[in-house]
Amino acid sequence: MKFTQNSYMFDMVLFELQDIAGKEHVSTRASDKEVYSIDYFWISEMWHDRQAGRDITRPMADFIVHPANAEEVSKVLKVANNYKIPVTTWGGGSGSQGGALPVFGGIILDTKRMDKIYKIDEKSMTVEVGTGIIHQTLEWELEQKGLSTMHDPASARCATVGGFIAHRGTGVLSTKYGKIEDMIVNMEVVLPTGEIINTLPVPKTACGPDLNQIFIGSEGTLGVVTKVTLTIHRLPESRKFRAFIFKDLSTGLRVGQRLISENLQPSVIRLYSENETKEVIKKVLGIEKTGAYLVYGFDGKQEMVDLQMKYAKAIADQEEGEDLGTELGAEWWKNRYKFFFPPYMFHLPQCFGTLDTVATFSDIENVYNAMKEVVETRYPMARFIGHFSHWFPWGCMLYARFIIETPPEDPHEAIYLHNSIWNDALRAAMKAGGVLNEHHGIGLKLSRLTPELYGNSFQIIKNLKKSLDPNSIMNPGKLGFGV
Amino acid sequence: MTKITQNNIDTLKACRYCPMCRQSCPSEFISYRESDAPRGRAILLHSVYLGGKEFDSSAIQAIYNCFLCGACKSWCSGQELGGYDIPELIKFARRDIVSHGLAPQSVQEIRNSLVENDNTRNLDSKLSCTALVVEKTADVLYILGEGVNYTNPEIAEAFIRILGHQQIQYTLLKDEPTSGKELDLLGYRKEAQEKAKNMAGRIKAAGCKTIVVSDPLVYDALKNDYPAWGLKLESEILHVSEYLLSLIRSGKLKLKPTQMKVTLADSEFLGRNNGIYEAPREVVRASAGENFAEMQWHHEYLQSAGEAAFTFDGSAFKRGEELGRKISIKAEDINAEVIVALSATAKNNIAATTGLRVMDIVEFAANLMV
Repeated sequence: MKFTQNSYMFDMVLFELQDIAGKEHVSTRASDKEVYSIDYFWISEMWHDRQAGRDITRPMADFIVHPANAEEVSKVLKVANNYKIPVTTWGGGSGSQGGALPVFGGIILDTKRMDKIYKIDEKSMTVEVGTGIIHQTLEWELEQKGLSTMHDPASARCATVGGFIAHRGTGVLSTKYGKIEDMIVNMEVVLPTGEIINTLPVPKTACGPDLNQIFIGSEGTLGVVTKVTLTIHRLPESRKFRAFIFKDLSTGLRVGQRLISENLQPSVIRLYSENETKEVIKKVLGIEKTGAYLVYGFDGKQEMVDLQMKYAKAIADQEEGEDLGTELGAEWWKNRYKFFFPPYMFHLPQCFGTLDTVATFSDIENVYNAMKEVVETRYPMARFIGHFSHWFPWGCMLYARFIIETPPEDPHEAIYLHNSIWNDALRAAMKAGGVLNEHHGIGLKLSRLTPELYGNSFQIIKNLKKSLDPNSIMNPGKLGFGV
Repeated sequence: MTKITQNNIDTLKACRYCPMCRQSCPSEFISYRESDAPRGRAILLHSVYLGGKEFDSSAIQAIYNCFLCGACKSWCSGQELGGYDIPELIKFARRDIVSHGLAPQSVQEIRNSLVENDNTRNLDSKLSCTALVVEKTADVLYILGEGVNYTNPEIAEAFIRILGHQQIQYTLLKDEPTSGKELDLLGYRKEAQEKAKNMAGRIKAAGCKTIVVSDPLVYDALKNDYPAWGLKLESEILHVSEYLLSLIRSGKLKLKPTQMKVTLADSEFLGRNNGIYEAPREVVRASAGENFAEMQWHHEYLQSAGEAAFTFDGSAFKRGEELGRKISIKAEDINAEVIVALSATAKNNIAATTGLRVMDIVEFAANLMV
């Protein structure tokens, strides 16, 4: 934006946006600008929290636009290109990486009006939806018909489907049903220059590269996904869980790896490190045990689930797990969202972050140990905890977290400490075979480290960005692209 | 700004960055604005009470856009332990806004109407259905509330038919005054307490054993606000659904079976604030039996009917219909033929958006009594 709110050019652009979306769907109100300046990223929260008595300001959007469909999105992007105005797409604003923050001002494109369920196809087992729908709303509608996407993250209640696509989200049932990218059949996308495209009707083709995969995980830097067709499933006849305490994390990891490699097809495996078992499991589930808590779950036809449960227990017994029974497993399922509500969730003034990463079974324990060591030795004021909750045929995800009870009061010093921990922990992870992130995305938080992760292959991504978004208007400052 | 209480600070700090209840908030999914969600409102209020900012007009508007329906509390898994209470925080902020002379013009107009005419819509009390009442001594005092008194006299007529049929002596209050509830919800506590004092005096003067109330807002005021303000009422206070149920249980009131599929729209002020969920269901089941069906959202997860939605966007009562439409859709989803409502507001908001029969619970009972 080259013009300010007291310039008539501001009103000229505002008028164009109002003409596209309707006056009531474009806001320049101070309250909206304030609320859209904070997402679930710790730094944006901390900056807001520490504003009293300080001369600090937050980056804010100039316009907040609520388009109704792809056509309106297209027109907004054409206006933005005409005037080279940054555009940041906002779904539920529940991302933890700062991906939805309008750090260079401009337009916030709030997608939540695009919340229609267009078609539920019970023959093909797909659902076509606007990407602005809150995921839980979609799930409730599907549930009425005995269906589900089986995408079940903690953020289901507050995030949009588009938000999941933007950062490659995952849910607690991912071990059986996959991450969001495994659930996408086709998409409608508005390119940065305003063209509306559709990806091929089905994804498993031999017709060249899969266009879906260009936009999945692009965090609003390569376009705006406005509609998507997702796979759906019938709700299972049976869903059972069983919990164990293993003597240590290594044993728990071996059990998880065996549940996968022995083809038992669990829908859930969650293994908590010894210190997270002590800190978090005790708080939410009231279990006071020493060791590593592991819960697994299966779903499907009753008889099959019973068989899977039987073979899984045999593995756990062989590894000398202390059986906590099915009730404590079911208790975890019942409370699976509770961990993310206050007062259970970490919150300011604490400084905290989720260092999720993913690696092969051969590397994952080394990744955990490397991150733990670097955090605990270089930052003695920080606690390090972790759990392993999304499992693949070749490895699993580590959901590591650091928590500092009393970070520096000065917001600049707090950011320096926060970023230093991220840099050190993730560099240690990458050195040990991990990557920057598994399902929260890059956003602003990890943008600086992205070229380091990709090395010389980052040029391919940069070229793609330049080709699709020649004026670099889409979500500047994110995903390693800068401005 | 007024010094904020510790409970409200706890709510501010818990809710300001937490979006976990947002899917439940009816006001956000009318405007689609983040500032109309609990998180948004908490962020704005944090800036004022803990961030040293002044209220600006758009933040004030966001505070008045809340329906005070309490859905955020029902959907908060940390509420039981943390005691977070967005509706209380919003009411506190509204009182503060009022005390600093910052209430929006539309709110001030509603306040003036309530103070001068005892209704929110600046209507002459001669137009109310209690205008010609001659008060008498009776065991039962029936309090209508503004909706029934001014816009839905058919609800009062239905209840009076039941009382007549049962040969129950009753009285009404001539020119029934406001309970003060709406004033309190708007942030005018002093004026609300004055009105409450007046209403309590009128009730006491009537000398009835039992007060039966149609309007959930009035019921909530008599049950919760009046005792908190030191206004003690000796009489038993019942919502009409509770009173009807007592008549049914005692065998005095019998309802014919209906073959229609009937559903019930819960009331946020009866349900969430007072735990009244089962009495209206039992009344409906007394006639509908197996033909009673729940909508997708009921009991504490009810959909707001907009009982306190009289300030949204400054357009008094307009947004309520959008809430009514959401309930209508859910009733149509289950192929209901009749929607039973628990307030005049709910009846009107729902009826405006569906071809299904919508009736208040007393109309339901009156139509089917034997």
